[in-house]
Amino acid sequence: MAAVEYIGRKTAFWTVGRLRIAGVIAALAVWELAGLSGLFFNDVLPSAFRILRAMGQLLVSREFYEHLGVTVFEVLTSFVLGAVTGTAAGLALGISRRAGDIFEPFIHYLAPTPKIVFLPILLVLFGVGMGSKIALGSISCFFPMALNIAAGVREVSPTLLRVGRTFSLTRSQTIRMIYLPALIPAVATGLRIGLAVSIVGCLLSEYKLARAGMGFLAGQYGDKFAIAHMLAVLIFIFILASLGNAVIARFVRLPGPGDRGSVRLAFDK
Amino acid sequence: MADVKQAPVLRLKDVAKTFVTPHGNVRAVEPVTLDIRQGEFISIIGPSGCGKSTLMNIVGGLIEDYEGSVEVDGIQVRGCHKEVGMVFQEESAFPWRTALNNVTFPMEAAGITKEERVQRAMELLHLVGLDGFENRFPAELSGGMRQRIAIARTLAFRPRILLMDEPFAALDEQTRLLLGDKVLQIQQELNQTTMLITHNIAEAVQLSDRVLIMSFRPGRIKRVVEIDLPHPRSSKMMGGERFGQLVAAIWEDLREEASKGLQELERVRG
Amino acid sequence: MARTMASTRLTLPPLLIRFLVIAGLVGLWEIASGSGWINAFTAPAPSSVWKGFEKIVAEGGLGEAMAITFATALMSAAIGAVFGIASGYILHIWKAAGEAYTSWLAALASAPLVLLYPLFLVIFGRNMWTIVAMGALGCTPPIALKAKEGLDGVKPVLLNVGRTFNLTPKQQFWMIMFPASLPSIFTGIRIGLLFAIINVVGVEFLVNVGGLGQLIANLGDRFDYPQMYAGIFFVILVSVAFFWITEKLEKWLLSNT
Repeated sequence: MAAVEYIGRKTAFWTVGRLRIAGVIAALAVWELAGLSGLFFNDVLPSAFRILRAMGQLLVSREFYEHLGVTVFEVLTSFVLGAVTGTAAGLALGISRRAGDIFEPFIHYLAPTPKIVFLPILLVLFGVGMGSKIALGSISCFFPMALNIAAGVREVSPTLLRVGRTFSLTRSQTIRMIYLPALIPAVATGLRIGLAVSIVGCLLSEYKLARAGMGFLAGQYGDKFAIAHMLAVLIFIFILASLGNAVIARFVRLPGPGDRGSVRLAFDK
Repeated sequence: MADVKQAPVLRLKDVAKTFVTPHGNVRAVEPVTLDIRQGEFISIIGPSGCGKSTLMNIVGGLIEDYEGSVEVDGIQVRGCHKEVGMVFQEESAFPWRTALNNVTFPMEAAGITKEERVQRAMELLHLVGLDGFENRFPAELSGGMRQRIAIARTLAFRPRILLMDEPFAALDEQTRLLLGDKVLQIQQELNQTTMLITHNIAEAVQLSDRVLIMSFRPGRIKRVVEIDLPHPRSSKMMGGERFGQLVAAIWEDLREEASKGLQELERVRG
Repeated sequence: MARTMASTRLTLPPLLIRFLVIAGLVGLWEIASGSGWINAFTAPAPSSVWKGFEKIVAEGGLGEAMAITFATALMSAAIGAVFGIASGYILHIWKAAGEAYTSWLAALASAPLVLLYPLFLVIFGRNMWTIVAMGALGCTPPIALKAKEGLDGVKPVLLNVGRTFNLTPKQQFWMIMFPASLPSIFTGIRIGLLFAIINVVGVEFLVNVGGLGQLIANLGDRFDYPQMYAGIFFVILVSVAFFWITEKLEKWLLSNT
């Protein structure tokens, strides 16, 4: 009797690569068929080819780059502002137990609130231009950054710190050789979520009220019912977001031993 | 026990197992033949990677694809069987069920009435010494108590044969000794045929009627040691002269196998 | 002397300090606004914000707006839970699909999907369904991820226990896999609900349809600042309270696992 048991992969038709290709094809097919089905108003779901053509047209128009420039400037400025203030607050809350006890609940509970509702106030304070967008983007970015850094500082293993003490490390050595390497995953997670929410903050405020920017452009095309162009703008926005993500992943090396992987979500403890 | 000379409860006939992996075949267990009598307590001891867990999983029915045959009361069985109960090394008490509901679990699955299963579960909790803890969740209990829940749960099916795969491995030494005494007491009370896997020599000597020493991969029974210590046993016998002799004799045989295992491990890791 | 003072200060409980900080900020704002340091029209004093709050409760339809927002968010989360748990289950049992699509799902969970709302606006029109769709879109990926994570994470030994007791596949699922993965599924639903609320309020605010978001947008458009500030603080308070309650609820439900 052949008593054998196969460990490892069985050869099946649906391999990972084939499934991924099939997924893309299926998504495109659903899109095209839904557009052709007549269930939606004409031109609401334009064919992928028309979207591609619209993307091409945008890429050769000067106007597009002006809007792109505005949005990139807003996002980067708000991201830097939010990340720097968030890191400072996170370090303070993480290092001082007392400060953490008192003030962290504020940040913890304010983090998952819809920041967009502050926009009317920000419009009054900073005007309809880039100021209000940058403000909302920074506020959004501040919270995940601060929370991740504070948690990261607190999660630095006490054993590692004790090891450091037995080698009589100085304070700066302890920070450089133990805290910083241990914090890299927290920084990476904070930056990743922070960037995504600053993009959301900036673009949602552009959708609402603006004179320039990608969100403004998409809204304009939407009002003119130029859906293919609107979708082209949206696709560029998502390309931009994933580029930003890729840059962070490139420079802040992932995944560190403490990284909880890609499944780590904004409000997941 | 008067009925010791009966036909074997459990009979393994040339049981062997080869795993096929992408890196080639691995012979885990060489043909093992073994008879276990009603009420007997058998320990299998061997180095890590000697196939003792594979053997246990074959008898318990978790591995269905093997050579040879396993018979319970003279009837060949394959796959999980209600006459064979298993207690695992890892935490296996369901954290979302109370102690009582953990023990009723198999009876619930088998469709026994609530009244009967609660009554039986209370008896079993008493047997393992968990009176008063029936409404606690595992998270509120100690590791030793959780393992006793698992034992009571397995006994709830009244298995003819109780298999225990290093059930005390995660516990501290003192808890392990006390739990060993408890298991002995239960085994005597129920005249429970028991097969234990362990790598603790003293534990094997303290509990067993026979100790089977397995060789390093491929696992085969290298030697069988009859433990001629008087019954009833207890952890208090550990200081005795005969106890020490038996431990030393088993270690003599095991040493060579264990060092082979260690070398293999270091080769793989390094 | 300074030391004694410091140590007395340090013994104050955090809750009291938090309260004092908030009270201090509100008081400072009241004084600043009353004395004209900051513009009392665009940044009205807390006392007039409170009057604005009473007004939106009495005649601004605050209660109704809140009911609409919550109903919309709950509906979105329910849709998200059905699709999310189903896809999490499929990705769990079909290993190749899990390997192929889980990273995509994770990317979707962290992607700014709410930015797609102009598309949904043209598909569904300026009405509640756009908002429900945006809410559901936001909460499905995290729920699916958490469901899959929970099902994948069921300890093999628990499944083996079931096998040794001869459980049927159905019993194996309902008596072991499902309860074992429930904590993770619940976390997914809680996170999904938060995502849904954020998206729902945001889209309500943007398209001027529905509950609390629309209320704030309208008050802003009318330059009625005391009421607008009151509405904003109310939304923040409600979402904090909601977050707090679900967090405590989760802790309580999972305290035994």
